[in-house]
Amino acid sequence: MFSIMKHKWVFMGISFALMIVSVISLIVRGFNLDTDFAGGIAVTYEIKTDFNTEDVQKIVDEALGSHQSPSSIQRSNNDEVVVKFGYENDLKTEADRSAFSLDRVTKITTALQEKYDPNASGDDSKVLLKNQDIISPSTGQDLARSALWMSILACIAILFYVTLRFEFVSGVVAIFALVHDVLILLGLYSIMQWSVDTNFIAAILTVLGYSINNTIVIMDRIRENTRHARKESYSEIADKSILQTMNRSLNTTITTLLTIGMVYILGVKSIQVFALPIIIGIVIGFYSSVFVAGPLWATWRDSAVNAKKKA
Amino acid sequence: MSRSIVKFMAIILVIAAITYVGIAGLDFSDKVKIPGVTDEGGITQGLDLKGGTVIVFEADAENPSDDDMSTVIQTIRKRLDLQNYTEATVTRQGSDKIRVELPDVQDANKAVETLGATAQLVFAETVTQDPSDSNKVTVDKQVMTGDQVKDATVEYGSSDGKSMGKNSYRINLTLTDEGRAAFAEATGRLVGQPIYIVMDNSVISAPRVNSKIDSNTCEITGEFTADEAKALAANIKSGRIPFNLNQVEVRTVSATLGEEALDNAVKAGIIGLILVMLFMLICYRLLGFMADIALVSYIGIVLIILANCHVNLTLPGIAGIILSVGMAVDANVVIFERVKEELRLGKTVRSAVDAGFDRALAAVIDSNVTTIISAVILWVLGTGTIKGFGITLFIGIVVSMISAIFVTKFLLKQMIGMNVKNLWLYGISKKSQVEEVKGGKA
Repeated sequence: MFSIMKHKWVFMGISFALMIVSVISLIVRGFNLDTDFAGGIAVTYEIKTDFNTEDVQKIVDEALGSHQSPSSIQRSNNDEVVVKFGYENDLKTEADRSAFSLDRVTKITTALQEKYDPNASGDDSKVLLKNQDIISPSTGQDLARSALWMSILACIAILFYVTLRFEFVSGVVAIFALVHDVLILLGLYSIMQWSVDTNFIAAILTVLGYSINNTIVIMDRIRENTRHARKESYSEIADKSILQTMNRSLNTTITTLLTIGMVYILGVKSIQVFALPIIIGIVIGFYSSVFVAGPLWATWRDSAVNAKKKA
Repeated sequence: MSRSIVKFMAIILVIAAITYVGIAGLDFSDKVKIPGVTDEGGITQGLDLKGGTVIVFEADAENPSDDDMSTVIQTIRKRLDLQNYTEATVTRQGSDKIRVELPDVQDANKAVETLGATAQLVFAETVTQDPSDSNKVTVDKQVMTGDQVKDATVEYGSSDGKSMGKNSYRINLTLTDEGRAAFAEATGRLVGQPIYIVMDNSVISAPRVNSKIDSNTCEITGEFTADEAKALAANIKSGRIPFNLNQVEVRTVSATLGEEALDNAVKAGIIGLILVMLFMLICYRLLGFMADIALVSYIGIVLIILANCHVNLTLPGIAGIILSVGMAVDANVVIFERVKEELRLGKTVRSAVDAGFDRALAAVIDSNVTTIISAVILWVLGTGTIKGFGITLFIGIVVSMISAIFVTKFLLKQMIGMNVKNLWLYGISKKSQVEEVKGGKA
């Protein structure tokens, strides 16, 4: 039968390599922060007639005027265009910034309507503002701060609970698996430069809470098998426990992926960006629970036993 | 055996009823109603689903006091009422922010202007009714403006200061010197007549002048309740909002986008649910069938909670519910895998189920508590859509544990009572059954 413990160095090696790559990318590349964090203006228009992005770019440039703030135009879904731009640097107060943002959005909306649907009135217009996010830079900072607090709080609370229910080594291993999952998830987003928004925080915290599930079920089985064990080493116990719970780990991961996967496949864009990190996190969580947490625990405990024997 | 079948049918009927109520609601009479999710107003949709505008204002001041913040919130509420935004909500966010949610408002620009502006508060001698809108008036002759009121506070006690007088709420006004002069002149002429307090062209109070008031303080008395008095004081003060408000966040979602998002999410939920049910049926056969019934009860309970607790359902919130469907069967998977193991060891179905539940319970609770911890943190500390996600995830996990443990256990007991002995139905192949049983005995 396949033994995970025999290949533990391969599995743990992969994990450590991925973690190191993630840390490096986080330091060197950082995140591609979305409007939510970085502050700025993002407006989605639906234009129900032929248009090209160059014309839209021209309109946006004109509306923004001589004080160019960086802007981007992105076409999506064929009839939608996402216009993003930042605040001008010389806007010192929040009052200036809010006046600037609303004014420019109105200008762009009016200009687009004049160009693509000059005769329209009211709601029948072929140019519709579908979605707009105007976020001041200070809000983004607040958001980042509260996200950090929530994650730290969650980690501490989970560590507390796991240490309470299991012994200390299990607690540390479970938290290690947790940090591992979140770190690699963050690293992936950093490497790919996928944009990070508010909902990403909710996704990360979901992964924090959920990816530990598999680890705990395995730890629970180890706890039980240790009680009945006589001469087996911790490695043997871990191997046995992981294999006994393998079906369960797989099946649970599959059912969860089935539902959140459907959300990703059928959902609108804003919900897809939310579902994707959860999906990735669940997969990484499965790997760390099954291939890393158990072996790490057993190696730690066995080496403690060996050290005692030698002494 | 027959008793088990009766009980089994009974619980199926109960679950069907719960699910029906969750979807369609139940009307006992005109007064006693349990709304379902498809009822009008059954679900409180977040703005990202029904469309609308969210504006977050930030106080342009260092550490604004709680009093000032609640004054501002009162003012914004009053303005929303005056503009007929009856479904709008105003909540405080953090120490210096106010979050205003306006359903169906597309013109964010206009909303920001009307809400963020300093209130137009006027004390008037005569006003004229607006012929087109019975709530609106135009001011003909002004006594003074809100700027000339320094402060407005609520006091409780007897109006004449003596212990014998009737206790009531009243509003103390503190005027500026300029205001005092104007007020003295007007009250001298207007004894016995009302002075209209007009905010944004709407009369909010019209106290009668009892005598000439030539003082920096005066009071408005009347049959106020505590809340009325506080609201009036807040409104008078709001002519002097203690600081400017800047909007730091404006988000608009069109109703069409929200509708599309909701449709897709519901579709994803239904398909995901069916896939999970099929998966359980294939993997665990009879046990899976029981889990599927329990899953239906889970859906029914969650729908009832959503429709009756006025949970603000956001798009991530729906994702939270769908996600928890996948997680909901987790407890069953843990338990069933355990039951299968015990069956392979050659135990009877009855003792295998008992042992499976006993041994799996700790793992089920431990693994769910950590997710609950995360959900609660998102619920309590998150804002906006994140909060909505935390709430539904929390509801989903708690209800799923209840349905997976209690409902499934009840169902399995009836199943045992029906005496089904074919192990294939429990997800164990004939071959492994023989091998494992042999191995177990050896």
